[in-house]
Amino acid sequence: MSLFELVLRNSFRKKTRFTLTCLSVIVAFFLLTTLAGIDHALNASVSNSNQYRLMTSHKISITRSLPINYQQKIKALTGVADASYVSWFGGYFQNEKNQLAVMAVDHHSYFDLFDEYQIPAEQLASWKNTRTGLVISQSIADKYDWKIGDKIPLSSSIWMNKEGVFNWEFIVSAIYQKKDGTTDSNRIFFQHLYFDKARAYARNMASWFSTKITIDADAEKVSKVIDKLFDNSDAATRTTTEQVFVKEQAQQFVDMAMVIKVVLIAVFFTLLLIVCNTMIQVNRERLNEVAMMKAIGFSSISLVKQVYLESLLMLTLGAVLGSLLATLTLSQVQQQFIDFLPGIAISPSHYLTVLILAISAAGLCSLFPAITIKKLVISETLGAKS
Amino acid sequence: MNTSTEEQANNIIFKDINKSYSKGDNTVVVHDKFNLEIKSGDFVALMGPSGLGKSTLLHLMGGLDRPTTGSVEIGGQRIDNLSESKLTRWRADNIGFIFQSHHLLPVLSAQGNVELPLSLTPLNKKQRQQHAATALTLVGMAERAEHFPKELSGGQEQRVAIARAIVSDPKILLCDEPTGNLDRKTADEILALLKKLNNDFGKTVVMVTHDLKAAEYASRVINLEEYIAQGQQQCVEEELK
Repeated sequence: MSLFELVLRNSFRKKTRFTLTCLSVIVAFFLLTTLAGIDHALNASVSNSNQYRLMTSHKISITRSLPINYQQKIKALTGVADASYVSWFGGYFQNEKNQLAVMAVDHHSYFDLFDEYQIPAEQLASWKNTRTGLVISQSIADKYDWKIGDKIPLSSSIWMNKEGVFNWEFIVSAIYQKKDGTTDSNRIFFQHLYFDKARAYARNMASWFSTKITIDADAEKVSKVIDKLFDNSDAATRTTTEQVFVKEQAQQFVDMAMVIKVVLIAVFFTLLLIVCNTMIQVNRERLNEVAMMKAIGFSSISLVKQVYLESLLMLTLGAVLGSLLATLTLSQVQQQFIDFLPGIAISPSHYLTVLILAISAAGLCSLFPAITIKKLVISETLGAKS
Repeated sequence: MNTSTEEQANNIIFKDINKSYSKGDNTVVVHDKFNLEIKSGDFVALMGPSGLGKSTLLHLMGGLDRPTTGSVEIGGQRIDNLSESKLTRWRADNIGFIFQSHHLLPVLSAQGNVELPLSLTPLNKKQRQQHAATALTLVGMAERAEHFPKELSGGQEQRVAIARAIVSDPKILLCDEPTGNLDRKTADEILALLKKLNNDFGKTVVMVTHDLKAAEYASRVINLEEYIAQGQQQCVEEELK
């Protein structure tokens, strides 16, 4: 009879209790792993952004537009290498479930600034010469089976064209590849020039500007100079680095993640109480057996080790199943959310964290039984003083 | 000569034992200047009314409890001043316990329960199984080796508990009301088994019991009430001298 065999048999002594406690552990680790996947996506979008690019939007809100003639004024500033502008189109294909991240961009400058999108030169040239041309990602092309030359109807829930409809006609002109696996591969681009001429309102306005600074320039100083330049205009600006901008955009999710984290801590604390309580109850029920084992020569350390291994078995089993379930769920969710929140993934280090958590929690849950075992007086537990 | 020395070396000697417990603000004195010697190889029945400290004596002999003052010497070694870990090791090597309630682990078969104390020894799995099988055969439980406690009768459970107590070949068997929960016939079988272990294997058996019939199996019966009274009388006489 090995120690491990005894631990196994003791663990499954009360199957219902073991199963229910294990289920609570599974739920806690499922939540933890799911959050880790979402957290990974949020952080990935921030770390992938460029610190040498500035984002200039309307001071009041990003939903307000800025005049596109700001581009030339920004380009003329010291420390600025290039500037481009973008308007958010949104859009969907066929029905609103197929949401797409479509943007109208300045076709002369945009891809000079954003060189992470790798487009064959002839396709880029073709796109620049095609007024209604689209630049799409390889993953979008694969998903919808779009090829170069295909006519694609896209609809917008924001922008009406001059014909008074929300349906826009495009032609696929170029397909970009991901440069390093981190670039957002779900964006679609078309010419701002076409957008301006075809839309029914807000012409010559853009949602934001992207500015590339020179390597020796101070991003903070250039940002201040840009904002100062438009301080007294009708459309004052707010400029930050791309990293900060993305971080701020993600902040709404990060706040949500913070709420989830707080809930998760509460869940974990409750879990700890549940498992602790279970182990205390288990130990109390077996006090006579523990006393007998002490009497026949088992040391307190050996008995505490048994309790610890029992807790560890329950927590590890729950942690493995919970994490596995979350990983499987996230792999499905990732496909559903690829346009909305790309980069959902579990880093290998997370599994190490899970393991460390299970080991530590097992230690904490064994603490009270360990004290009881250590303090247990065999003669008082096993027999009355007659 | 050698046998005599060996026998003496395994004697149980209580010297001026004081044992008291705190109960709230009061102190309950269980034993006061108690002296006793049990010879190696004896079968001793400790009898007397409840509350006199019979079980306490048994626990002191087995190193489950410590005297408030005085010494407990077994086999020439004082055990009352051993550290907790040394005492635990000493118990595993020298003492076999048999209690009124058998305290078998319900998750283990009879074989598994008997093997349990052997997991503290350097014996390998096969050796442990062989030793446990021998002990179970000795108590007449070989055929029930794979049965779990809930599948055994009270008498059978107590036999398994005895097998567990003797499997590591201790010199001393301490029995606290071993037949208290059993019917007469089963009790007699258990007592005959203890007698056999005493006679054939030279185990020192100390048994706490209220059962006069059980005491008949012992080679020495100590009525604790009378023993203590005699001891006090002797003390008074010695003081008067």
